[in-house]
Amino acid sequence: MKTNKLSYKMGQFLMFAGPAGILFCAVVIVPFFYGLYLTFTSWDGVSLEKPFVGLDNYAAAFADTAYWSSLGRTVVYSVISVILVNVVAFFLAYLVTSGIKGQNFFRAGFFIPNLIGGIVLGYVWKFVFNRAFVSIGEALSGTAPGSLLSTTNGAMFCLILVSVWQYAGYMMLIYVAGFMGVDNSLKEAALIDGCNSTRAMWHVVIPLMRASFVQCIFLSTTRCFMVYDLNLSLTNGEPFSSSVMAAMHVYNQAFVYKNYGMGQTEALVLFVICAVIGALQVYFGKKGEVAA
Amino acid sequence: MKSWKRIGSTILASVVALGMLTACGGGGSASSGTKITLFNSKVEIETQLEEMAEKYSEEKGVDLEVIYSGDVVAAHLATKYASNDPYTISMVDAKDVYSLAEEHAVDLSDESWVSDTDYAVSVNGKVYGFPLCVEGRGIIYNADAIENITGEEFDPADYKTLEAFEGLIDELKDGGMESPVGIMKEDWSLAAHFLSEVVEQQPDADAFVEQLQAGTADVANNEKFNQLFDAFDVLKDNNYAKNNAISAEREVTEQKLAEGEIAFMFGGNWDWSVINAYDYTENMGIMPIPEDTEDGTNEKLLGGGAKMLFIDNSDATTDEQREAAKEFLKWLAEDDEGKSFIVETANLVSPFKSNTLEVSDPLGKSIKEYADSGNLIPNYDYNPDDYITVMGAEMQKYLAGEEDRAAFATAYEDYWKTATLSGK
Repeated sequence: MKTNKLSYKMGQFLMFAGPAGILFCAVVIVPFFYGLYLTFTSWDGVSLEKPFVGLDNYAAAFADTAYWSSLGRTVVYSVISVILVNVVAFFLAYLVTSGIKGQNFFRAGFFIPNLIGGIVLGYVWKFVFNRAFVSIGEALSGTAPGSLLSTTNGAMFCLILVSVWQYAGYMMLIYVAGFMGVDNSLKEAALIDGCNSTRAMWHVVIPLMRASFVQCIFLSTTRCFMVYDLNLSLTNGEPFSSSVMAAMHVYNQAFVYKNYGMGQTEALVLFVICAVIGALQVYFGKKGEVAA
Repeated sequence: MKSWKRIGSTILASVVALGMLTACGGGGSASSGTKITLFNSKVEIETQLEEMAEKYSEEKGVDLEVIYSGDVVAAHLATKYASNDPYTISMVDAKDVYSLAEEHAVDLSDESWVSDTDYAVSVNGKVYGFPLCVEGRGIIYNADAIENITGEEFDPADYKTLEAFEGLIDELKDGGMESPVGIMKEDWSLAAHFLSEVVEQQPDADAFVEQLQAGTADVANNEKFNQLFDAFDVLKDNNYAKNNAISAEREVTEQKLAEGEIAFMFGGNWDWSVINAYDYTENMGIMPIPEDTEDGTNEKLLGGGAKMLFIDNSDATTDEQREAAKEFLKWLAEDDEGKSFIVETANLVSPFKSNTLEVSDPLGKSIKEYADSGNLIPNYDYNPDDYITVMGAEMQKYLAGEEDRAAFATAYEDYWKTATLSGK
C-alpha cells in the first residue's frame, strides 16, 4: 500500500481527527453560526416564526444601557478578581512548594473550594454573609449590623471575595506546576552569584514561570467575565439590580424578557470582547516568554 | 501493571454497558396506556402531584408523568420546544397562555368544565388555559399574636382604613411587639404582587396602563398610587428588618409570622406552604390592604385564577395523548377524586364552582370567602416581561430608603413609556 497517497493521508486524518472534528462542529461551530443567524431575528424563544429584522438587534443592544452598565460592572469585578486571584494563588503556590509541614494537605485544602459547584457555594456563602457575619457583628457591637449583601458595594465585595476564594486554589495548582518546572540549579546558581532569595525569585523564578502566569490570567479572566452561577446564587443581581453581571443580563434578556434574538446579540458582543481581551493577553504574554 | 489496565478497562466497559441498559430501561416497564407528561411549575405541590400521578396512572391506564422545573417558565418551555420535546400539559402563568396559546395550545372551548369556572383563560374567544387554582394576596395576619396583646378578638374588617390599622400597630408596639410587620424583599413580591395593585385597583386598569404607556398619567398625584404607598410606608416603618430590609430572608420572615413574633406580612395564600413548615397557629388569615379610601378596594383582596394548564398542539404530541390530557383536566375539575386532590391534598382553592369541598388552610379559607362573595379584584395579567426585574429593583430601592416616593413615581412613569405589554 502506498502511504504517501492523498487518499491514504485523508483516511488517516479522518480516522484520528474525524470523530473529534465532527463533535466539535456539532457542539461548537454549528450552534455558533445558528446563534449568529438568530441575532438577525426578533425571535422570542418559543414562537414558530423567526422574523428577520436585519441589524435591529445590534442597534438595540448598543442602546441597551442596562447591558452596558452590567458590562462595566463585569469589567470592574473581573479586573479586581483577576489580580487578587493570581496574587493569592501565587503566594499559596509559593507556600505549598516551600517545604512547609503538611504541604500536600494544604494543596488539597486550598483546591477544595473548586470542587464545590458555583451554585452551592453561592448559597453557602449567602448564609455566611447574611447570618453568620451579622451574628458575629451583633455579638461584637451589640447592635445588628446590616448584611453586606444588602448594600451595593457590599454585594460586589462579597462576589469578589467568594470568587477569589473559589478560583485561587485552582490557579494555585498551575503555579505549583510552574514552580516545579523551574530547575533548582538555576536558582542555586543565582544564590551563589550573590542574589538574595527575593531577587532570585524576582529575576530568575518568575520570568521562567511566565507561561503559568499567561495561563492563569487567561483562565481567570475568561471565568470572571462569564460568571453566572455565583452571581445567581449569591446575590441574584440584588440589591436593586446593582450586581447583575453581563452573563446574567444576557440570560434575562433572552429568557426572562423573551427577547431571544437580542439576548443572543448581547451574548455575541460579550463573546467578542472576551475573545479580544483573551487573545491580546495571550499574545503579549507569550511574546516575552523565556524558553527554559 | 498490565493486569491493572485490564481490570480498569473491564470496569469501564461494564459501567458503560450498564449505563446503556438503564437508559433503555425506562420505557420497558411502562404500561400499555398512552404516556402523557405534566410540567409542574409550582414547587409547593410537587410531592402531592407526583403521588397523585402514580395513583392516576394505575387506575386510568394512562401513564402520567410529572416533571418539575424551577426555571423561568417561559425559558424552560422555550428549551423544550426548541428540542421538539414539549410537555403534553404545561403549567404556566396566565400571561404565558396569552403569548403561547395561539401557536402552541389546544382549543379547550368545548370542554364541559368551561362553564363551571370564571377563571379560564381565553384568547380571541377561545379557551386555552385550564385554571388550576384561585390565589389571592393581601396582608396576612396572625390573629393569635394580635389577640395576645390586645386581649380582644381580632376582626380584620375593623381595620380597613389606614388610620385604624396604624392605631392597631401602635397598640401592638405598646404591648411589647417592637416591630409588628414583615416585608418580603423578593422582586416578585414587591413588584408583581404589591406594585401591580397600583394598576389593578384603578377603576379601569387597562385605561390606566394606556395612559402610562402614552406618558400622560400623573403617577405622583394619582390617588390610588398614593393610598397604596401610604400603606406601604406604614408597613415599611414597622418592618422587623427595617435596617436590613434587602437581605431579610423569606423563611425568616414567615417563621416570625407563623410563631407570632410579628403580626402582619404582605403576601398571598401560597405563603402557607412556607408558614406550615414552622410552629404555626391556625388562627391566621388574609385581609385587604388598609387604605383611606371610599372606593371599596380596602374591602377586597386581589386575586384570581392562578397557574394555567394548557395542552400542547404540536406534531410531537399525538391525538391520543391530547385526548388523555383532556380527560385528565376533566378529572381534576369534575371527578370527586380530582376535586379532593385539588382542595384536600394540594391545599389549593378550587376555581370551579361545583367544587364545594372545604379548604383546609386558613389563608386559603380567607381567599375562598372573598372569592365566593365576589370580593376579589382581578389580576392584571399583561405586565411586561421585564416588569419584575426592573420595577422590582426600584421597589427594593424604595424599601431600602434609597429612593423617595417622587423619584419612584418618575422611575415608574419612565419605565412604562418604553414597556411592551406581554401577551397583548
